[in-house]
Amino acid sequence: MNPQTEQVDAVSPAERTGRGGLPFVSGVRTIFLLEMRQRLRARSWYIMLAIWFVVIGLVFGLAVLTTATVGVDNGGVLFDLVVGFVLFFGLLVAPGLSANAVNGDRVAGTLAVLQVTLLTPSQILAGKWLAAWTASLGFLAAATPFTLWALALGGVDPLAAVVSILMLAVELGVVCAVGIGVSALASRPLFSIVTTYMLVAMLGIGTLIAFGLSMPLVQEDDVEVVYSYSTDGQQYGPRQPSAEAETPLPATDCQSETYRQTVYHTERSAWLLAANPFVVVADAVPYAPVPPSVRDGSAVYRQPGVMEFLSIGVREAQAGPDLEYTCEESYLGARELQDGQIPIWPLGLGLQLLLAGALLVAGRARLATPAHRIPRGTRIA
Amino acid sequence: MSSEAGITAAGVVRSFGSVRAIRAIDFEAPPGEVTALIGPNGSGKTTLMLILASLLAPDAGTVRICGVDPLVDPLAVRRMVGWMPDTLGVWDSLTAREILQTLAACYGLAPPERERRAEELLRLVRLEDLAGQPARVLSRGQQQRLSLARALIHDPQVLLLDEPASGLDPGSRVELRSLLRTLAGLGKTIVVSSHVLVELDAIADRAVFVKRGKSVQTQRLVDAGTQRRTYRICAEPIEPLLEALSRHGFGFTSSAQTRTNEVDVVLDGTAHAAWLLRTLVEADVVVSAFAPAGGALEETYMTLEVGAE
Repeated sequence: MNPQTEQVDAVSPAERTGRGGLPFVSGVRTIFLLEMRQRLRARSWYIMLAIWFVVIGLVFGLAVLTTATVGVDNGGVLFDLVVGFVLFFGLLVAPGLSANAVNGDRVAGTLAVLQVTLLTPSQILAGKWLAAWTASLGFLAAATPFTLWALALGGVDPLAAVVSILMLAVELGVVCAVGIGVSALASRPLFSIVTTYMLVAMLGIGTLIAFGLSMPLVQEDDVEVVYSYSTDGQQYGPRQPSAEAETPLPATDCQSETYRQTVYHTERSAWLLAANPFVVVADAVPYAPVPPSVRDGSAVYRQPGVMEFLSIGVREAQAGPDLEYTCEESYLGARELQDGQIPIWPLGLGLQLLLAGALLVAGRARLATPAHRIPRGTRIA
Repeated sequence: MSSEAGITAAGVVRSFGSVRAIRAIDFEAPPGEVTALIGPNGSGKTTLMLILASLLAPDAGTVRICGVDPLVDPLAVRRMVGWMPDTLGVWDSLTAREILQTLAACYGLAPPERERRAEELLRLVRLEDLAGQPARVLSRGQQQRLSLARALIHDPQVLLLDEPASGLDPGSRVELRSLLRTLAGLGKTIVVSSHVLVELDAIADRAVFVKRGKSVQTQRLVDAGTQRRTYRICAEPIEPLLEALSRHGFGFTSSAQTRTNEVDVVLDGTAHAAWLLRTLVEADVVVSAFAPAGGALEETYMTLEVGAE
């Protein structure tokens, strides 16, 4: 034992009595580095990445074969599919990466060691969230070969691609925040992981169920609906690019009939879909509009991908029932939605952030020390 | 150090739901001394340690760490307090060196300072050779020493050690003892809770006994000379000893703990003991051993235990 070593003060007496903790960022960085070190040294993360790579690879391979058989030579469809799958698997992986981050430490007895330092609960939560998010972004990065492959096939709008990837990253961050918040609140890791999965399922599937179940509430019986159709047989189907195409559709060929039927005012219930992660991603991506390019014959028909299809569906729901089915619509097979339509994804992302934020704030209160209330069966240390 | 140095806690109460972990504890630990916190399992020792470490809020009562209330300014308390928990929590995949450097960062030490301080403490707890090994390969005793180094990382004025000696080999215990004495000599306030009473006898200056969440007695070990305690006397052959004791009116007992040539005698302090020993030797009793049956703390502990029955 060397008593001399103990006399060297690590912190000067003036600092010792001073109030205030660490600068916020440096505390967060310390926790982030601590978490990342542990994650990078654990084999499980690499195994999960490998499984992830193989699964996405299989799905991608099948999709390539299928689109080749069908004859759709469009990278856009494949890219859209990769985005959808990465989001789907990401929602499965992110809770596992985040939802035991705090209570796992509590069980291991390492949380109190941090709580007794100058770190604040906010710094601990922020550092752990950043680490969980970074780990889940690793999965996004592991899907890069497939996204690049799809992009190389062409037909993807660069802006749409960038926004897709960005929104995927944002959604993973939201799920990680939910997981971290729940893990700070719950005592047992198993419970918090299951709870996080339930919350993610609530967003992903629960919103769809709620939307479906709300149909009777927005139902209106006996509504007049006008259907118009063209009597000129030549006008049906996509037109070949030709001189003939330059002439506008003759209005005289159009006939209308009026029916009384039940309609669903989905414009009143579409908001229920907003918080769905798939809707948030799909709705935020600025896809090039499909129908108009076909109408004037300036572009070939473009098959929408799975996410774009979802986006179109949500916008249809937002627009509500079509009470006047015009000749032009019957020709195009779909109506043209107003340009002024308000995008739904900011609402959805807002709801998600509200959920994650509320959980984090509640979790922060649980980490506050000196602790007043402690749930049954948990120890501080 | 001002008069505010050290720890004072008065009328501390803490319940967990319906379980009253601490009913009424008064506790004082002056600077420059090692204060032992002694009590049976579940008597509220660890709860009190958590309250002193600013992790747990008392339901009632006042706590001052070097004059600072942990409820008012927990960060100021944390700068001054080093806490070694009774549960061993280590980040398995991190090396001992990384753990110490991380903790140093958590206390706001600058990067070069972190490295210097980590190396210094690794040397102090003799873990230099294992500094690059992941913590999971360390033995229990080594992890315990790492935990001690962790508590010392920011050179705290106050040290709270919960069962620091458990899992340590005899050599490490001796080192722990001399380290704590050294730190106390530097004016630091040290609180040690332990069941190993013989160890505490050698380390502690004072002892606070707690039982069922109440502080029942405070003892200074330098006062032990006037303490009434049991002495164990060994003589070959034993008959002259028994005869001499009877002649001078001493009651003696032999129990399952004594060997056939030993008896226990209750004496009023060291002066009394010295007188009896001289008397026995002068009476030609062949005394081969004459010593307190247990440590001073054990003696008090057992009195309290018996009182509980």
